[in-house]
Amino acid sequence: MPCPKTPHLLQEYFSDDLAPLAGEELEKHLAQCADCNVELEALLTSQISLQQWQDQQVPHWDRGLELFKREHRSPSHQIGFWNRWQWLPTAASFAMLTIMVFSVSIASSESGFSISFGGDDEITESVQELFDQLQQTQRREMAELVARVESRQDSNNLQLLQAVVDQTQQATAENMDRVYAFFEQQRLIDLQDMRVGYQQLVESDYETIRSLELLAQFVSYESDVR
Amino acid sequence: MSLIDEDEALIAAALNGSAYAWEKLVKRYESKIYNYGMRLTGNAADAMDLMQEVFLGVYRNLHRFRGDAKFSSWIFRIAHNKAIDMNRRKRLMTASTRVIDGEESDVLDSIASPPQYEPDTQIGEQQQNGQVLKMLSQLPMEQRLIVELKVYQSQTFEEIADMQDISVNTAKTRFYTALKKLKVVSEENHALS
Repeated sequence: MPCPKTPHLLQEYFSDDLAPLAGEELEKHLAQCADCNVELEALLTSQISLQQWQDQQVPHWDRGLELFKREHRSPSHQIGFWNRWQWLPTAASFAMLTIMVFSVSIASSESGFSISFGGDDEITESVQELFDQLQQTQRREMAELVARVESRQDSNNLQLLQAVVDQTQQATAENMDRVYAFFEQQRLIDLQDMRVGYQQLVESDYETIRSLELLAQFVSYESDVR
Repeated sequence: MSLIDEDEALIAAALNGSAYAWEKLVKRYESKIYNYGMRLTGNAADAMDLMQEVFLGVYRNLHRFRGDAKFSSWIFRIAHNKAIDMNRRKRLMTASTRVIDGEESDVLDSIASPPQYEPDTQIGEQQQNGQVLKMLSQLPMEQRLIVELKVYQSQTFEEIADMQDISVNTAKTRFYTALKKLKVVSEENHALS
């Protein structure tokens, strides 16, 4: 019968902090109990077998360096001289837009520079007149251009249509010729076939007549014999 | 400078963006984590996956490391959690594959069964390691983790209990049960040979 103390005692044997008194007691029991001794020896053998592990070499890998470098990339290179002036084109565009929207004019005189918003009436009228003239001219030119393009387009279309018609006619005539030739050839073949047929019929009739003559001769011969 | 201080110096430098410090820190622990993964998963591919997951976890949480505990304990706690996650994922995958395949076996069977080790192909010439893996494969995950922490990481039962969120007595019992099971396996192997 196995020792009932074995599980408890051996569990304690592997403890980290076995009290000295408990240790002595354990040693005493092990000295007397063969069951516990055998069991302990087997467990220690298992433990020693596990400790035979030899560390294996790690296969090559990048150790997360790519990720590390990507996420810790220094932002210092972004604050260069040119980067500081990136706002310049935007600011220039904004200034141009302001000048256009508010009709800003800058005039220089002996007393200095003057900046005015909105245009002079006379200047505005003359600009308007010029603008109207320009618009009319452009419309006229555009109408002429459209007319020229339309006429050219018409003539092109006409030529194209003519070419298509000619081509179609030519193709139709060729096709008709081919059909006529085909029918003619077919007619000749049919005539030939008919001729051969009649010839065969005639020969067949001739054979029949010959047979009848032979039969008649045979009959007359038979009647003569009788 | 002690190893712990050196770890802390490397962590500080890595947090300041030193790739060299990061690489040195990884080099110090990669072998331990990889071998830990080998013993728990039983194959090189899973061990590699586990190691990469662990170091990614370390990288993402490095700023949270306060130095209250040793870095080695901290990294092994991450490894422990990742190993449990990986095991759970594999069990789910195995269970779902069996359901898809239409096998009528109980899902619990797949949870209880240890992963299949292929010592010959995975470990090659290291016969001894193959034997160890064969033994470990007979243990369920919870006992394998205790054996790993006790035998290979030399942790106390108190540390193991704290890491696994179990009582010290449970940790002791699991370790004893594991050794007993290995004893039976060893005896069976001897009887066969």
